[in-house]
Amino acid sequence: MVKERKFLKGPRLRDVSTYDFPGLKKAFSLGPDQIIQQISDARLLGRGGAGFPTGTKWDLALQQQGERKYMICNADEGEPGTFKDRYLLEERPLKVLEGLIIGAYAVGASHGFIYIRGEYTEPIKILRTILEEAREEGVLGEDIFGSGFDFDVKLVRGAGAYVCGDETSLINSIEGKRGISRIKPPYPIQKGLYDQPTVVNNVESLACAAEIINQGAGEFAALGTDNSRGTKLISVSGDINIPEVFEVEFGSCTLNEIIEELGGGVRRGKEPKFVIPGGLSTAALLPDELNCSYSYEGIESAGSSLGSGAIIVVGESRDLVDILLKVSRFYMDETCGTCFPCREGNKQINYMLSQHRNKKFTSQEVELIEDIGEAIAAAARCGLGQTSLSLINSIFAKFSEELIEEVIQVD
Amino acid sequence: MKELENEIFLEMVHNIQETYGYIPEREINQLAEKFDQPRAKIYGAIKFYSMLYTEPTGKYVIRICDSLSCHLNDSHDLLLAVENFLGLENGETSPDQLFTLEVVECLGHCGEGPVMMVNDRMYTELSKGRALEILKECQ
Repeated sequence: MVKERKFLKGPRLRDVSTYDFPGLKKAFSLGPDQIIQQISDARLLGRGGAGFPTGTKWDLALQQQGERKYMICNADEGEPGTFKDRYLLEERPLKVLEGLIIGAYAVGASHGFIYIRGEYTEPIKILRTILEEAREEGVLGEDIFGSGFDFDVKLVRGAGAYVCGDETSLINSIEGKRGISRIKPPYPIQKGLYDQPTVVNNVESLACAAEIINQGAGEFAALGTDNSRGTKLISVSGDINIPEVFEVEFGSCTLNEIIEELGGGVRRGKEPKFVIPGGLSTAALLPDELNCSYSYEGIESAGSSLGSGAIIVVGESRDLVDILLKVSRFYMDETCGTCFPCREGNKQINYMLSQHRNKKFTSQEVELIEDIGEAIAAAARCGLGQTSLSLINSIFAKFSEELIEEVIQVD
Repeated sequence: MKELENEIFLEMVHNIQETYGYIPEREINQLAEKFDQPRAKIYGAIKFYSMLYTEPTGKYVIRICDSLSCHLNDSHDLLLAVENFLGLENGETSPDQLFTLEVVECLGHCGEGPVMMVNDRMYTELSKGRALEILKECQ
């Protein structure tokens, strides 16, 4: 029986006056180099979806020179099916704040931001209170815990743009611009917010960092597999009996076990038609592909990716065209419009999908959709465009019999 | 855009919208001056964000998520019931300025769908009946 492995999860932690920030105190005694060494030794990969090594990011930022450096918490969780950051922001926000301050101290950032999606009205209230209390208790401000380190954090509310979860779009958004992505390089660690070195980390990555410093890199690295260390918060939703946020140790179970044992199986005793393992930008997996180990490499070997950890279960009786249209509409609505193949391509694909005949398409139409998808992936600057066709293409490939009409040759 | 110590553009426009219900033109003019930018730039930035309005909305902004996870929890039926009750389609405001209806992407409550937001308040696991009761209470 699969069990949760609670490294990040725990009792509600929101009262600044009774929490003594053990990770942060330890961090101040370690110093920046040792902190970064610990994060690198733990082999923490960014939990927002891209999986970049957090230790490397911090190390590169530490080496950068600038007038000032910025440390940003990316709380713009918007990938459909993902709600694990909201769990941390509502239940364990002090761990997130602790990770943010540790990161800032490690890279030498004096100014911090938490960029949170505007729809998260409850977490916004909670964070406002916490930031206020943290200033009163000396956890933010000058000379934090007598360390000589000065740091403060501003809360910035997003306003309904999914693409702002991309770090360069998020930076533009804080600067008061349209939230469109930037061309990389320069990377944010070189030239980010107001052209200064900037680190952007996901909520879960920061909570992980706080726990790695608190419990030790060894504790974290001992969990999981060689290539996927630690635990992952997963958001399970869709046609599932127990839709919730679970924390699992990488490699300790298969996707199928997550669905059957943690998620209580497919709703109404049915079978899954397919499962989306990491949010709308990841390829669908069929029931016979779900015996893969839940780890970055396990999901990749099954032909998809772990993404943000949003597992969406789609039951056997669902209408594929209805789902294709939903997915496509999401990308059409949320493209920022800067890279025109992404803007126009996603719109055209949505149109083409709406022109189905009795839920069927010709193989030429499917090829055209794939072609447009390739053009978008090649031209798009950010992850949104690059992955916008992953799910749609995989559904066409795996359900070709159901979706592609046979052409009757007329002599 | 000019960096202003302690002033974040998005926070400023959120606060303006909280005061007036939308971002009136005179405020846009002031923002342009404050940030030393053409008005078009300020408009352009505001218009990028679906939660910011340059025209008055209804007193209650109703947002219904119809993203995939909610869709699998029958959000479309909820949406049809609400559309029918309010006599509004996506993006429309009622003539009495009481309601604005918006179909939105993911609100981050994917395990508790279908969900509806009324201004700042989130309602989860909604039946059609309960949703209509909530709307009636607004009237």
